[in-house]
Amino acid sequence: MTATAEVLDQVVLAEPPRLGRLYARAMAESRMPRSAALPATEVVLDDVHVDVEHLAAYDEVCGFRLTDALPATYPHVLGFPLQMQLMASRTFPLALPGLVHVRNTIDVERPVRWDEPLQVRVHAEELRAHPKGTQVDLVTDVTASGEPVWTGHSTYLARGVSIGTPSDDEVVGPDPAVDEAGGRASAVWRVPKETGRRYAAVSGDVNPIHLNPWAAKAFGFPRAIAHGMWAKARCLAALEGRLPDAFRVDVSFRKPLLLPSTAELRESRQDDGWRMRLSARRGDLTHLLAAITPL
Amino acid sequence: MSPTPTPRRAAVVGGNRIPFARSGGRYARASNQDMLTTTLDGLVARFGLQGERLGEVAAGAVLKHSRDFNLTRESVLGSRLDPSTPAYDVQQACGTGLEAAILVANKIALGQVESGIAGGVDSASDAPIAVNEDLRHVLLDLNRARTPVQRLKALRGLRPGQVVPETPRNGEPRTGLSMGEHAAITTREWDISREAQDALTLASHQNLAAAYDRGFLDDLVTPYLGLTRDQNLRADSSMEALAKLKPVFGADEPGATMTAGNSTPLSDGSALVLLASDEWAAARRLPVLAHLVDAETAAVDYVHGGEGLLMAPAYAVPRLLARNGLSLGDFDFYEIHEAFASTVLTTLAAWEDPRFCKERLGLDAPLGSIDRSRLNVTGSSLATGHPFAATGGRIVATLAKLLHEKGSGRGLISICAAGGQGVVAILEAA
Repeated sequence: MTATAEVLDQVVLAEPPRLGRLYARAMAESRMPRSAALPATEVVLDDVHVDVEHLAAYDEVCGFRLTDALPATYPHVLGFPLQMQLMASRTFPLALPGLVHVRNTIDVERPVRWDEPLQVRVHAEELRAHPKGTQVDLVTDVTASGEPVWTGHSTYLARGVSIGTPSDDEVVGPDPAVDEAGGRASAVWRVPKETGRRYAAVSGDVNPIHLNPWAAKAFGFPRAIAHGMWAKARCLAALEGRLPDAFRVDVSFRKPLLLPSTAELRESRQDDGWRMRLSARRGDLTHLLAAITPL
Repeated sequence: MSPTPTPRRAAVVGGNRIPFARSGGRYARASNQDMLTTTLDGLVARFGLQGERLGEVAAGAVLKHSRDFNLTRESVLGSRLDPSTPAYDVQQACGTGLEAAILVANKIALGQVESGIAGGVDSASDAPIAVNEDLRHVLLDLNRARTPVQRLKALRGLRPGQVVPETPRNGEPRTGLSMGEHAAITTREWDISREAQDALTLASHQNLAAAYDRGFLDDLVTPYLGLTRDQNLRADSSMEALAKLKPVFGADEPGATMTAGNSTPLSDGSALVLLASDEWAAARRLPVLAHLVDAETAAVDYVHGGEGLLMAPAYAVPRLLARNGLSLGDFDFYEIHEAFASTVLTTLAAWEDPRFCKERLGLDAPLGSIDRSRLNVTGSSLATGHPFAATGGRIVATLAKLLHEKGSGRGLISICAAGGQGVVAILEAA
């Protein structure tokens, strides 16, 4: 996750793009020729105001309390349509359908109040070969009155798409979310079938693999699967009252959480924060590993 | 047997509340737990209690979902307090907040705990809605059924009309009358005029607005969801504007006086107070604003006994005064909860009435009058709104701060509650 040295062209949007339309276009154009390099573009949304109604709905779906401070995962929802705007276009080297969210890192610099006007910027970086395909990072930067308050890195994997041989570094690939959360489960969650639809409604992520089992089957899943970002949010909500003001939460998404299912949360408190593991109720299928460290 | 500890007086260290919102207003999407946790964290931040284990937290809500059976404990677990702080829920209708404060203060007085938080929360917006009672019976029968035949028999009880849910009613179960309708009966009995009610209402709004303007509420209130002052407050209200409102309670009889202006609206909000021993506060360099001296709760038979639903404080106060060797005039501040303007006025009229004082209270002479300039000097529920269980915490913190500002003196709190109950208490400047 090195900083991009090149200067990006800013595209300032008047309003958040409509996700349904972007998906439809991405589907239609998925087999057409694409750009080989990442777009040197930064998509920007200025003067973003959080709607309390929306925040309340998001909090309810993810298990957060409705407070004046935004949950750590909420700004991701603000940046997500901008990510889609970049990725749905043919100027993006990887086709949107089939991209898998494999890792997500969020840095909360300080609590962000819902009533602060925010600027949200998204760009893509680090297109790289991976043993299973090709990876790319979508970076969301959120500022309040020019002050950087929140950064999110979403790593997407295009399975089976090759852009060359991965270097040794990339094969080893640092995984900060090492599984250190053992022991007994601290919570058992019954995740209902509707979770995908409910999270789609508050996040705008209407990827059909989360919405209905037939679409999921088309992509090789036996049933619809939960959004990774829902699972991440739900894990953070479990730490209500225990998180510092500034922290990093680094999550790697492992095996999909099929809907409905019963999941177990394991956590361990470390010298430098928390480790969490979300896994299937029985067996050792891991859905998510998380490392939370103070900044 | 261990010796009986000598009681000490519990100190009021301070308070925190969120601005109160009108039902369906700014907090329409906030749950009781959202508001209580937010208020708790605000109090923790104000007094540097992060990670502290307190003696206990006692709070409650009047309108409560069954899933919130452990509301206060759940809020503590989600707060920045040490999770090993015990908590319990209290419910005594509108007396909840004050009764919770009395409970915690008594434990402090006996040396059982050194510190505690008390108060309450209520949301009229996020009120629990239950399934239709007939449907509930069908579902329970179905749950008990063991055989397919039994299940089928249970399902035969289903009717289309059962989809209509039960919503909570702001009414007395034994009389079927709403609190406002009860109050209207008492108001008529005591012949409380519309003008007197409107004047008390106007004073409440003006006093609260002035209190905000002079910064009195700066360390009592933490903004929430964009609300910085109580949503119900109308600083520009006037007798003319209040006079225009149509009566809403007892309106089927001529000469009705109770309007939406001189009655409290349904509200959302929460309020908490921090109580402690003097030693605990001193060790943390926290102020002691006042001490809780004594308290009394009374109840009246409003069902068959011919007494008004909200008249219990009229009985509680004389008992409290007698026990403490005080008379009604011995107070610098009177905080009488304004459920309705007429409730305050009826209570005051009752204490001045020789017949009521002799026949109902068993006193030789009337309890007396109060200096009206000492009544609800920073406004009360007519202006702030009245999230039922939150009102006690609001009043205790307000009165403690008033006494601290004055530097001496004594204040009386009186709160009426559904079920014909009344909770009253005395605070003294530290």
